[in-house]
Amino acid sequence: MKDTATISNGTMVELIKVSKTYPPDIIALSNISLSIDVGEMFFVIGKSGAGKTTLLKLISNMEPPNSGLIEVAGHDFRRLRGARLAKLRQRIGVAYQDFKLLLDRTVSENISISMEVSYKQPSQIQKRVRSLLEQLQLSDKHDTITGELSRGEQQRITLARAVANSPALLLVDEPTGNLDAETTTRVMKLLNMANKSGATVVIATHDESIFRHSNRRIMELKRGRILSMQEVTPI
Amino acid sequence: MRFWLAVFRQAGRNLRQTWPSQLMTLLTVSLSVLIFAFFYLVYTNMISSSQKLGDDLRLIIYLEEDPGPEMREQLRRKITNFDEVEDIIFVSRQQAYERFSEQLGPHKDVLDDIPKDFLPASIEIIPLKNLRSLNQIKLFSEYLSSLPGTLKVQYGQEWIERFYYFTKLLSIVVFLSGSLLILTTIFMVSYTIRLTIFGRQAELELLKLVGATNNYIRTPFLIEGVLQGLVGSSLGIFSLFLLYQWIISHFSGPGLLELFSFTFFSAKVIIAIICISIVLCSAGSFTSMQKFLRM
Repeated sequence: MKDTATISNGTMVELIKVSKTYPPDIIALSNISLSIDVGEMFFVIGKSGAGKTTLLKLISNMEPPNSGLIEVAGHDFRRLRGARLAKLRQRIGVAYQDFKLLLDRTVSENISISMEVSYKQPSQIQKRVRSLLEQLQLSDKHDTITGELSRGEQQRITLARAVANSPALLLVDEPTGNLDAETTTRVMKLLNMANKSGATVVIATHDESIFRHSNRRIMELKRGRILSMQEVTPI
Repeated sequence: MRFWLAVFRQAGRNLRQTWPSQLMTLLTVSLSVLIFAFFYLVYTNMISSSQKLGDDLRLIIYLEEDPGPEMREQLRRKITNFDEVEDIIFVSRQQAYERFSEQLGPHKDVLDDIPKDFLPASIEIIPLKNLRSLNQIKLFSEYLSSLPGTLKVQYGQEWIERFYYFTKLLSIVVFLSGSLLILTTIFMVSYTIRLTIFGRQAELELLKLVGATNNYIRTPFLIEGVLQGLVGSSLGIFSLFLLYQWIISHFSGPGLLELFSFTFFSAKVIIAIICISIVLCSAGSFTSMQKFLRM
């Protein structure tokens, strides 16, 4: 498997003519071609049903495309199996729109899971969990059962789990949907920090406040097609 | 090392969360092992008793007259042609009289007026000391009766036949209870693991998504299988040992146990039963996990 060094000047995500159709014949994405560079923060916007979540699902290999090629860190998921596939997945952090939290487990256990699978030491895991909870103002929820938290708090836990293992690629689906302005700022700060430390961040959102003033590439989707691509304005 | 720490932590968590179903499986494994081991214990004791029985067992052929040296050789050949035997002893009329006289001890004077050749000559055949020979005895006896000059063939027919049929029945029971052990263990363990998988589908899916290897997902379930096999079979064997102690202490007077000298399993047999249970439980766990990982 190629390491981060070999792709450091290259492309983290590459999609060529990717299409996805759900039965019976709902077109979620059609002919999407896109390249996201290593270390880039990339926004995917569009109304509900535009195909943002499907795009993230395809990039994270949760679902396969019907046609087209998807490469992440130079790897075609279709060619990966077993330990090599697991290794690549460990380098991708995903904050899902439906959270995918284990509601009967504690907050700490939920965040730890992404680090446990890469066999990090328990002391290291605990240190990272506490640090993330502090950054997201959830320090007092360390041992709380996740099902007892509010939607906003659960959303932040999802984000903490996604960034916990310091992934090379971070996919975030509607990160601020249930948050107030102050918490939104904190969440964006955390994502910016991850980006500054080298992670490629892809954010799917319809919250204008988080991308309006950013000097990042923004791709707008409509009914599964690319409506517009706003390039970075040179400062 | 880190891998094993992580999977043992995961296995501990699984056991804590699903302990009621784990306990049910454990009891089923213990009970299956107890049933099988009980019949196997009785069977092995019967087999060892049959060997002891074989030590005393002999067939006696009463002859019409004392055979000469040539006739003795012919008879010896005929006997060994049918089956291998431990020993063949020829007893002449004179020897038979002397033995009888000795057995009478102080009352041997009752034989004074009786002719010294009143007892028939005989051949004593000591068969090989195994159960197969025991099974052959009836056929052997029929064959010996057909030899020329034979008056009668004697052995403990009725008793030996009953013993043989009982041992045969026991071997069938051991076979059936062994099959029951295999089926219940594999099915119970595989269904418990399947139930656990079903109850933790969301977690296992998530583990796959965050990059857990198949080994990371599979190993804690295998550890559960190994533990169920180890603890379940140990409990079963221990229960049987308690039952054995109870039987020994309550039936140690003159009776059946005196006759058979009942003994418990050797350490080798105990380890073998535990190892087989562990393998069966792990196999049950493994098959369920493979089904899930293929999904």
